[in-house]
Amino acid sequence: MSDGDISISNLEKVYDDGAEKTKAIEDLSFDIDSGEFVGVVGPSGCGKSSLLYLIAGFLETTDGTISVDGEPIDGPGTDRGVVFQDYALFPWRTVMENVTYGLEEQGVSKEERRSTAQRYIDMMDLGGFEDRYPKELSGGMKQRVAIARTLAYDPKILLMDEPFGALDQPLRESLQDQLLDIWRDLEKTVVFITHDVEEAVYLSERVMIMTRRPGTKKTVVPFDLDRSLDREEIITSDKFVTTKNSVWKSLREETQPEVQP
Amino acid sequence: MDVTYARDDVVTFTKSIYSLIIFLVLWEAVAQMGLVYYYYLPPLSDVLARFVELTLSGEIPYHSYLTLRRALVGLVIGTVFGILVGILIARNAVAEWFFDPIIKIGYPIPIIALVPVFMLWFGIGDQSKIIMVAIGTFWPIAVNARNSAQRIDKNYIRSARMMGTSDRRLLWRVVFPAASPGIVTGLQIALPLSLIITFVFEMVAGGGGLGALEIEGVRTFDPTQVYATIIAIMLIGIALDRALRLLRNHYLRWV
Ligand SMILES: Nc1ncnc2c1ncn2[C@@H]1O[C@H](COP(=O)(O)OP(=O)(O)OP(=O)(O)O)[C@@H](O)[C@H]1O
Ligand SMILES: [Mg+2]
Repeated sequence: MSDGDISISNLEKVYDDGAEKTKAIEDLSFDIDSGEFVGVVGPSGCGKSSLLYLIAGFLETTDGTISVDGEPIDGPGTDRGVVFQDYALFPWRTVMENVTYGLEEQGVSKEERRSTAQRYIDMMDLGGFEDRYPKELSGGMKQRVAIARTLAYDPKILLMDEPFGALDQPLRESLQDQLLDIWRDLEKTVVFITHDVEEAVYLSERVMIMTRRPGTKKTVVPFDLDRSLDREEIITSDKFVTTKNSVWKSLREETQPEVQP
Repeated sequence: MDVTYARDDVVTFTKSIYSLIIFLVLWEAVAQMGLVYYYYLPPLSDVLARFVELTLSGEIPYHSYLTLRRALVGLVIGTVFGILVGILIARNAVAEWFFDPIIKIGYPIPIIALVPVFMLWFGIGDQSKIIMVAIGTFWPIAVNARNSAQRIDKNYIRSARMMGTSDRRLLWRVVFPAASPGIVTGLQIALPLSLIITFVFEMVAGGGGLGALEIEGVRTFDPTQVYATIIAIMLIGIALDRALRLLRNHYLRWV
């Protein structure tokens, strides 16, 4: 049984707010294997979040299909967990209550909920803040609660929208490595949006570069490396530097202003 | 820290009642010097004495109970329906189509103007008063519940759905808590309104209660009873407002 693979074909998304139509995504086809870690980079406003929300089932596709495990998706499901760019924590729930929410919905017993949640709270270095409300947290802390909340209910597919964007470098690196551990140990499929090229290459097995809006797949840069190496060895390796540069080059072509004919 | 906090509180409180004290002293002086007719404004000391007398005789407690019961029962009914309809409008297109125009028309109607109509329809008893309070408090609750339920962050709903919350449970798990600050704002408007409606209805229709007690003071040429009743209703209003604030600070400390 395969589980956690995603198949996107001829995807198109047009936002229509009555007055104006915005084509966010155009003719995007892409297959992601079960257990794969895919990074997505692209210019701001190219449709990355839209793509993620479409996979999550929050938005209706305008055209094309998205299938998970061979089945066309029909709305959101607990097989897919999103880490929102704007966190979207429930402000009326404490950190602990936010992280246990998904487990409550699954009917997990109270003790088990708390111990599972505590594990992810500690992993995100949020120990001592269990009883705080989101309004009392910094942006970086909210972001970590959002990650813990999504990991806690154990979705097969993780859809992460710039999840480390608000964190400082040391914390960011530590969480990157923890995410890699989780991905490997729990065999999750990860779609990871970031605007940090180094982060994308470091984490991903493949990086998809999107064109400017209407966004579509521009190129896919594979990066297979020996994961037994440590961070220092990886980021100084020739292979890493070359891959990073080719992603950069491709991305820069999209962000530079179009040359008028 | 706690000590300075308490001291600051006392200072602010004293400052805020300076003007009140000056006003009360002026009242006593003006009345004692006979500058106004006793029937218009008896001295404060007479009013306070009458207030104590009416309290000890059990009259003020009894009539306060009648007023409070009518106001609060009506408020609870108006609140429950207001929340239901307000949230329904925000979440359901058919309900919006049907109820939204009603709310737009109903909210600004000065409900007090309908007291005589209610007397014609429902009589002058408790039932009539409670129905009027329920209808009067329904509007601000419904409008505030609707507004806050309409403004709920889309991603709260999405988060809940992805974590397995069914459409039916969404209402209790997300919509109601997310809208609760708006509902409480509505309640802060509706609470004094419930007292005003009850009080006025009692003045006009009788049947006991503080409104009736005050009017009785006029009919029996006893101005001290009029003012003593006003003090009672003021104290009740302040106490209820304080209680609601305490509840708000406790249950909405996450806001
Ligand atoms: N609800 C919406 N209605 C109309 N247009 C929208 C809506 N959401 C997004 N768009 C538009 O669609 C395009 C893609 O938006 P999206 O948020 O997917 O971009 P993004 O790549 O995630 O950008 P960023 O890197 O800044 O997060 C943008 O031009 C945006 O203005
Ligand atoms: Mg985005």
